[in-house]
Amino acid sequence: MEDLSWEVRANNRLFHRKQRRRSCLCLHRGRYSDNVIRSYKYSALTFLPLSLFEQFQRIANIYFLCIVVLQSIPAISTLPWYTTMIPLLTVLSVRGFKDLADDLARRHSDSQINRQPCDLLTNEGFTSVQWKDVCVGDVLRLHKDQTVPADLLLLTTTEPHSLCYIETSDIDGETNLKIRQALAVTHQELSQVWCEEPNSHLHSFKGVLEWRDMRHLLDTGHILLRGTVLRNTRVAYGLTIYTGLDSKILQNCGQTAVKTTQVERTLNKVVVGIVLLVLLFALLLAVGAGIFEARVAPGIEALAELGGRYTPVYKVFLTFWGYIILLSPSMPMSLYITFELVHVIHSLFIGWDLDLYDGGVDVPAHARSTTLNEELGQVRYLLSDKTGTLTENRLIFRQCCVAGVLYGLLAVSCPPHSSPPLDLSWNPFSCGGLQFSDKRLVDTLRKPGSPDVREFFKALALCHTVMAEWKDGAPVYQAASPDEETLVGAARELGWVFLSRTRDSMTLSELGHRRQYQLLALLDFTSQRRRMSVLGKPGELKLYCKGADIVILERLRKDSTYCESTEKALEVFSQGCLRTLCVAVRSVQEGLWEEWSRALELAAMTTGASDDLYDNMERELTLLGVTAIEDQLQVGVPETIATLRQAGIKVWVLTGDKKETAVNVGFACRLLDPGTRLLQGEELRSGLKTHGRAHECREGHLALTLADILILRARSKRHILYKGWTGNQSKHTTSSTPPPSLQVEFEEQPELGKRFIALSRQCQAVLCCRTTPSQKAGVVQLIRKYTSSITMAIGDGANDVNMIKTAHIGVGLNGLEGGQAVQNADFSLAKFHFLRKLLLVHGRWSYRRISVFLRYFLYKTSSFAFVHVWFAFCNGFSGQPMYETWFITLYTVLYTSFPVQCLLPSLSWQDVSAEGSLRWPSLYQLGVGRQLFNPRLLAGTFLYSIYTSLVLFFLPLSVFCFSAIDFQTFSITVLILQTGYWTMFNVAAIVFSMSMYFLATLILHSPLLHTIAPADFYFLGTRRFLAAWHLTAPSLTGPHSVSNQGTSCIRRHL
Amino acid sequence: MMASGYSAKEEDGHLPGASGAAGSGVAKSKKPDNTAFKQQRLPAWQPILTAGTVLPAFFVIGLIFIPIGIGLYVTSNNIKEFEIDYTGADMSSPCFNCSQSSSWNSTWPCRCSIAFTLDQPFESNVFMYYGLSNFYQNHRRYVKSRDDSQLNGDKSSLKNPSKECEPYRTSDNKPIAPCGAIANSLFNDTLELFYIDPNGTRTQIPLMKKGIAWWTDKHVKFRNPGGTNLNLSTVFQGTAKPVNWHKSVYELDADLENNGFINEDFIVWMRTAALPTFRKLYRIIQKKSNMTPTLPRGNYTLDITYNYPVLSFEGRKRMILSTISWMGGKNPFLGLAYITVGSVCFFLGVVLLIIHHKYGNRNNSADIPN
Repeated sequence: MEDLSWEVRANNRLFHRKQRRRSCLCLHRGRYSDNVIRSYKYSALTFLPLSLFEQFQRIANIYFLCIVVLQSIPAISTLPWYTTMIPLLTVLSVRGFKDLADDLARRHSDSQINRQPCDLLTNEGFTSVQWKDVCVGDVLRLHKDQTVPADLLLLTTTEPHSLCYIETSDIDGETNLKIRQALAVTHQELSQVWCEEPNSHLHSFKGVLEWRDMRHLLDTGHILLRGTVLRNTRVAYGLTIYTGLDSKILQNCGQTAVKTTQVERTLNKVVVGIVLLVLLFALLLAVGAGIFEARVAPGIEALAELGGRYTPVYKVFLTFWGYIILLSPSMPMSLYITFELVHVIHSLFIGWDLDLYDGGVDVPAHARSTTLNEELGQVRYLLSDKTGTLTENRLIFRQCCVAGVLYGLLAVSCPPHSSPPLDLSWNPFSCGGLQFSDKRLVDTLRKPGSPDVREFFKALALCHTVMAEWKDGAPVYQAASPDEETLVGAARELGWVFLSRTRDSMTLSELGHRRQYQLLALLDFTSQRRRMSVLGKPGELKLYCKGADIVILERLRKDSTYCESTEKALEVFSQGCLRTLCVAVRSVQEGLWEEWSRALELAAMTTGASDDLYDNMERELTLLGVTAIEDQLQVGVPETIATLRQAGIKVWVLTGDKKETAVNVGFACRLLDPGTRLLQGEELRSGLKTHGRAHECREGHLALTLADILILRARSKRHILYKGWTGNQSKHTTSSTPPPSLQVEFEEQPELGKRFIALSRQCQAVLCCRTTPSQKAGVVQLIRKYTSSITMAIGDGANDVNMIKTAHIGVGLNGLEGGQAVQNADFSLAKFHFLRKLLLVHGRWSYRRISVFLRYFLYKTSSFAFVHVWFAFCNGFSGQPMYETWFITLYTVLYTSFPVQCLLPSLSWQDVSAEGSLRWPSLYQLGVGRQLFNPRLLAGTFLYSIYTSLVLFFLPLSVFCFSAIDFQTFSITVLILQTGYWTMFNVAAIVFSMSMYFLATLILHSPLLHTIAPADFYFLGTRRFLAAWHLTAPSLTGPHSVSNQGTSCIRRHL
Repeated sequence: MMASGYSAKEEDGHLPGASGAAGSGVAKSKKPDNTAFKQQRLPAWQPILTAGTVLPAFFVIGLIFIPIGIGLYVTSNNIKEFEIDYTGADMSSPCFNCSQSSSWNSTWPCRCSIAFTLDQPFESNVFMYYGLSNFYQNHRRYVKSRDDSQLNGDKSSLKNPSKECEPYRTSDNKPIAPCGAIANSLFNDTLELFYIDPNGTRTQIPLMKKGIAWWTDKHVKFRNPGGTNLNLSTVFQGTAKPVNWHKSVYELDADLENNGFINEDFIVWMRTAALPTFRKLYRIIQKKSNMTPTLPRGNYTLDITYNYPVLSFEGRKRMILSTISWMGGKNPFLGLAYITVGSVCFFLGVVLLIIHHKYGNRNNSADIPN
């Protein structure tokens, strides 16, 4: 009880106001926060410091700040302060404005949220207030379809039994309705509630209601979370428990880890490399300056006099810093912001793509993370969920096996149209949609005296969490999982109709007879338990249990019948790619129930660990039967997988299903070819144990079935155990092949994991069966640990969230299983086959464009700066800039980078059209092999920039015409040659950039500016300048174009 | 286009939030627009380098560049240039004595004259340059050592020059005008040219001292304080002459239009050279008539008033006579560069043509790039 320290006094505003949390900087006082949402980051006062602080976390910005500081020291400032200050300010202000705009938008949406109305109980009855005025302890009135403003304790509703229905799609993305019920004692009055401190666990809550010296337990079933929507309930009343930041949903709004891409990491290394290089060059040039000062300068009277005050060593020191300033333009300052912009626009292109738009559900593709685009072009491992991702997750009840008898025909052998549909006219609740054509089942059902079959369908109609909503006189089912919906729907078609449920009862119509069942307990489904049970009282007390076959089969009574025939049926089902669920029943004695329910209550009060108790109850089961549901492959899945395989992407399928089902799906979606050799179980294990390469696996003819990886998390989180690489569950004697389990401890035997990955590299595909969500993530981690390749995880359900978050790129499908996968993903798609265009077209283009863009950027800045190194040899290593200062200032910001030059080619360039990319998937391998942005290529770029700077320096040197303009021409010429894909925007960009240059030159050299500030504007006399350019430009660009064309031409031919 | 695209994204970003707040509002299709820009189907020209395009390009470049190069080269060769070193570093040189004795402090001008012969007559206008080598006029400390405001006629800068001019900022507690190391090291040799007739008479060749500076420099960048009409000696009262100068800035020339800061020799010097070895325009010899060449073939003497010391930094002084053409001064490099580029193009074109002819049919079927 001691952890229930959060005190809520009903309708005692004074008490809570006094303890309202106030914070000033880092000091907090009080404990109850108010209900005002403040998602904005800046206020008028804090905007400047905070925004600057954030921006100066970028190493490049810090670097330039240092340069500006250096430049303000007159002795070493080789360039005037504005050469760095103006670009830096431009970059900072662009970024700052973006942040400001975002923040204003956030403020706007905040105030919209905070001003929503709700009804508050005061002395004069209910009055309408705004959300922000809600305080802990307030009693609120909610109407139908209203959003809950804070975490509330449900007091009472207008529905019978104080039930209310809520939709939680804003919290967990699940669209089905959920039930909440108020305690009976809260209908009238209440005084005080104690609960646990605010936390982020959405699905747990502990509290105690104190009323008239009685303590009533509260759990998550009594709570309405902020953000949920009240449905199907006219009015509900609630007591505010947590407000604002204390509410569960806001406690969940943690900072998500930002994923960075390979290219970005390389880029950061390059930036550090550039800094080191600048230091090195500055040092060498400073040494040169030392020699010059010692040997030459004393002879020249003017120079000797000018530097007379300082010792040569001090002069060398000054020169060193001077060159650091002079070479600083080699650091691509505006790179990051341009990079970001390119990313954003690439993401927009993904959202705009009509080919990635699914008209059926009206969902376009969406890049939720805008920083990962180029990695889409480098994926080597695609880890896919099966259900809902490869398959439709639109389930069809195909077959069942009751009491050892198989009903229904295999889908493959029986196309839907060949046999007449069942005549279900006797059933008033039938809505159609059942694709089941075995008349025997209906006959057996309707015949009196077939208790097994009837019990089976009763179990189907009772054991679920489906909600029934009545529309047009027929129940419409809303279920958290499509399996349940299908099964309950099938039961309805066949006469066992689930009509409605309250908190402690369910109403069925059994072949027309209406019956009410008392509902005693519901042992809910979790992905660990993989089963759910219902304790009901249809006369005698019975437990109906439904779950995955292995879980159920191990809990059967020793003397259960039909085991063999059921297992045979299971095999048949899984060969037909059907999903199976076992249904079982247990008669429970009243005494046992009472004892058990007391224990459960106790456990709920103290620890909340009820799994063991559940386990105790779900035992001694009697098998009723097996259901088989077909899940059809999505459109285009086989083609997509085949294309991706051609593109060099390894496709792994991770599924919770049985091995046989997974293998069958693997064949169906052309992941496995008919001739594929399956390596599994014992074979795989021995292979891993002896040596990874001992298997003479011919590439492409081997599929690896990694069955049953169990990752047991020990107490320390780093301790991961992989258990049992076996073909089937080892513990269960019921399984067909029971090999001994193998415990592999990867932490202790890391080479085993390495070998596994090495082995998998030679395999055509890998299927991992029987995986839990955390195991899926474990597989991704395994790949990330032992390879440096890019992994991509795709899934649609909550069970894929772990995997999606762990992989380099997570893709969520807008599936039927709620939106959790999408909410945690970096990209969201509507269909699996959109992956083909996303990877092969958008990914490839992005990678290509960004690589070329980055390389061009580095090239242009470094070649620009290097010219100064060569010039140093002509001016006595004095740090004299070669270009006019305004040219340096505007070069990166205006002439070459920001407006268009870098952006447009990096946005619209296509080397191969979309159709081409899809037709020749092997083009994708360029990105997988990182062939466009790697250290070798960067070194090449660097050498090329040195060559360029040499040409730039020595050609004008020979022509005797020193003018900065030639560089501009040159860099543009290089761009023109690299573009190779011309749209009207590119032409406009080049024209714009060139004209900007001439315009700026004319303005900056105008007599007017000179008269205003003679020291800063040199005024060169522009006309002669331009004339000189005309002559030298062709001679500069000539050799370059020749070398470029020549090499590409020779490459083509040889 | 970019901007509109970007703002569209911002709206997109807000849409889900807005609709979430307002419940399920009007169902607006989220179907993306089918525009060429958004679908990345902008009409584009994609040059693919094939033998069919590259080979003609090579030949065309070659055929264009070679004639241009030849033209430039011939023009450059037609420009007559004569250069003579008068440093006097050698014992044999007539200026040897002057070079040894000259220093900044020497008050008595040393004179020497060097005889030379022009083998060819110089037609049209002839430009006379002086050249210095090893003089680091592009050194940063040197380049900075000036005050552009002062040179532009700013009166407050005249009395209080910029700190950049140190240590040539003040002399005897008076501000130096013009201040700074560049002005202080003004080239102060006087060169005179005499034509020796075959019969032995010396005729002085008239040298134009105006029109040698850039128009913009002379009329915009450099201005005397207080306009042009005032008496310069009063304007510059209270200032000191640069320490190495023999006379004050307002005594540079008798011509008011060429005196003070707008003296053209001074302006030319103040435009610092980019390389340690450079030449600067000194005088222009105007063409007299169409009949006779400006400088006929024959013997000449160059009379030098030797003031400027260069031996301390192993410098050289030269006098250059040159005619000019439409492409400027003599510059064989440009022409050669064009010719080289053109020939390389042509050569590569031929080589590629051969390669193409021999192996070209091999990969016609494989049209997959890369």
